[in-house]
Amino acid sequence: MTAREGSPFRGVGVIALKEAADHLSSARMHLIMALVLLTAIGAVYAAIGRLRDTTAEDPYLFLKLFTVAREPLPSFAAFLGFLLPLVAIALGFDSINGEYHRRTMSRLLAQPIYRDAVLFGKFLGGLLVIAIALLTLWLLMIGLGILFLGLPPSVADIVRSLAYLGATLACAGVWLALAIAFSAAIRSPATSALAALSVWLILTIFWGMIAPLLAGMIAPVDPLDPFSVLKQFEVQQSIARLSPQTLYAEVTAVLLDPGARSVGPLFMSQLQGALYGAPLPTLESVLIVWPQFSALVAAMILLFTVAYVVFQRQEVRA
Amino acid sequence: METFTRSARVVLLIVLATLIGPASSLAEEASPRLTGFWITTPHPEFSLKPGDTGSIQLSFRNAHLPPQRLALDLEGLPEGWEAAFKGGGRQVSAVMVAPDETERLTLELKPPAGVSAGTFSVKINAKQHSQTITLPLSVKLSETASGKLTLEPELPALRGTARSTFSFRMKATNGGSDQALFNLSARTPEGFQAKFKRGYGSEEITGLPINAGSSENLTLEVAPSRTAAAGRYPISVRLSGGDKSAEAILSAEVTGEPQLRMVGPQERLSGDAVAGQESSFTFTLVNGGSAPATDVEMSASPPSGWSVAFEPKQIASIGPNETREVNVKIKPSERAVAGDYMVTLRSSGSGLSESAQFRTTVRTSTIWGAAGIGVIAAAVLVLGGAVMRYGRR
Repeated sequence: MTAREGSPFRGVGVIALKEAADHLSSARMHLIMALVLLTAIGAVYAAIGRLRDTTAEDPYLFLKLFTVAREPLPSFAAFLGFLLPLVAIALGFDSINGEYHRRTMSRLLAQPIYRDAVLFGKFLGGLLVIAIALLTLWLLMIGLGILFLGLPPSVADIVRSLAYLGATLACAGVWLALAIAFSAAIRSPATSALAALSVWLILTIFWGMIAPLLAGMIAPVDPLDPFSVLKQFEVQQSIARLSPQTLYAEVTAVLLDPGARSVGPLFMSQLQGALYGAPLPTLESVLIVWPQFSALVAAMILLFTVAYVVFQRQEVRA
Repeated sequence: METFTRSARVVLLIVLATLIGPASSLAEEASPRLTGFWITTPHPEFSLKPGDTGSIQLSFRNAHLPPQRLALDLEGLPEGWEAAFKGGGRQVSAVMVAPDETERLTLELKPPAGVSAGTFSVKINAKQHSQTITLPLSVKLSETASGKLTLEPELPALRGTARSTFSFRMKATNGGSDQALFNLSARTPEGFQAKFKRGYGSEEITGLPINAGSSENLTLEVAPSRTAAAGRYPISVRLSGGDKSAEAILSAEVTGEPQLRMVGPQERLSGDAVAGQESSFTFTLVNGGSAPATDVEMSASPPSGWSVAFEPKQIASIGPNETREVNVKIKPSERAVAGDYMVTLRSSGSGLSESAQFRTTVRTSTIWGAAGIGVIAAAVLVLGGAVMRYGRR
């Protein structure tokens, strides 16, 4: 095998922009974004109504826009956590096998680019589209907040919500990488979509039931030893954190609530002398969930690596 | 036979004597019944001030006589004097007393102003158709005849700190013949607050009515100014009403006391600390009192697992208006979560204690942040390895 020359990433930008343009003009993207926008506006509008009814004074009123819910609608953050994996899967489930399906892969690779650039470009293009959608949503939220609440957001509000935006992007990236990995591994687009959706279902809905079961098996509770309860809880939390949705929920809870001080169990001795409800500095909140954020980013990169290895080892001529 | 009769007489005499003896002694013991008519007064000799009206209480007593009608008359009244008998609220000139009853009248005497001092005799005559009953009175005229107004403090000198309240109990006596309202005033040093109260009451008063011849208790409460230096402060109290006044001089001795204050770093009572690491804060102890604070000891009540050390732990003495710096080293517990904790710092000595709540914002170590970046870097390295291994196809 002779060594190839030049950068493997040449042409990534072109492919990413083309991919993003394709996504933005596709009917699938329009449909799913319309769904997200409608639910988001509904959630924010409900939250504003509730804020105007109940909250008299709050130093972090804008963050409440993300977290306050009014029956029957869930909060904006909950909506985003539920729908965003769907958007990412919709963008990525046929990115590789769709090319095969349309028989355009060999034509694409006839261009003077490496395969690396194709996969990187497709991933970055998808991420760019999600980033644009998220930024639009964020601006919409801030705008609605200013319009209906009648006050400007504070710097801390902006920083915290932007950090939340970054974490959301990382979470969406995990699902995008997973969908691309399935699309590279599975030849049929329908099967890869189903595979990605079933993983999403398991990790989003069933993982909360599976984690306690597994924890009960790994670390059974000894009724005579109170520390075994704690041990089981810690094991359960570790298992639950294998799901990106758990990590994302923890990041959301701490970033959007300045009063939240920890994501794990706390002892009374740790809280002695503590001031409840005192807001944490923004940097401290970020530091608390930094492991979760790092885990999301690392999971995204590793899943993409899997997709990359699988794609690179494939036979393209078909 | 004769001897028998003699002896019988003797026996009879003895028996008679024993029978009659007690009876005669009984008659001797019963006091004679007072019968007659009197005019009495408790003070037959008294003094009056020229121009003032004096009231003399008179009692008319009828003992075991039929009802008597008595015409009243004054004899020997000097020229220009005014006199009137008052009974039942009216002016009277005769009195009638039922048997075994007493009638009370008041004689109002008013010597004209400007009469020189001297003693005058006046007789009250009560005329019946057959007899005249007389009560001689002796009136002494003098300028100072009316009683004095006095103000006597129970304890004229008190001692306390600048924060205590000095309570002077005083007795005001109106020796005059008239009830009057007297004004109260106190002259205190600058910044001192004075309050008058009646007896043990709680109402603040500015004046006090005192009946003629009686006295009232009153309390003067003086709150010294907090910044008063140690020393003796005079307070003069004045009670005045009409043309009378009385004065009392009191003194309050303010003793010095230390007053400690803890001032945090840059006058703030908050600071940052990292969990598990020692942070140092410079506190300043200020003695704003008027006496030195001695044997000041620093202590703290931190949350469990925390350690608080002082440098120095004990201070021998801080003079008035002096400051002393204390280095407070706070080390939050390893397991402290990020956020605000309250640490109570205390300085005590010379019988006083001052505490400050120091709000410590615990920051978590950034080591986990570095670890997170390490995890991401490892993932990127894996991706880089994959690119190296499978790249450029």
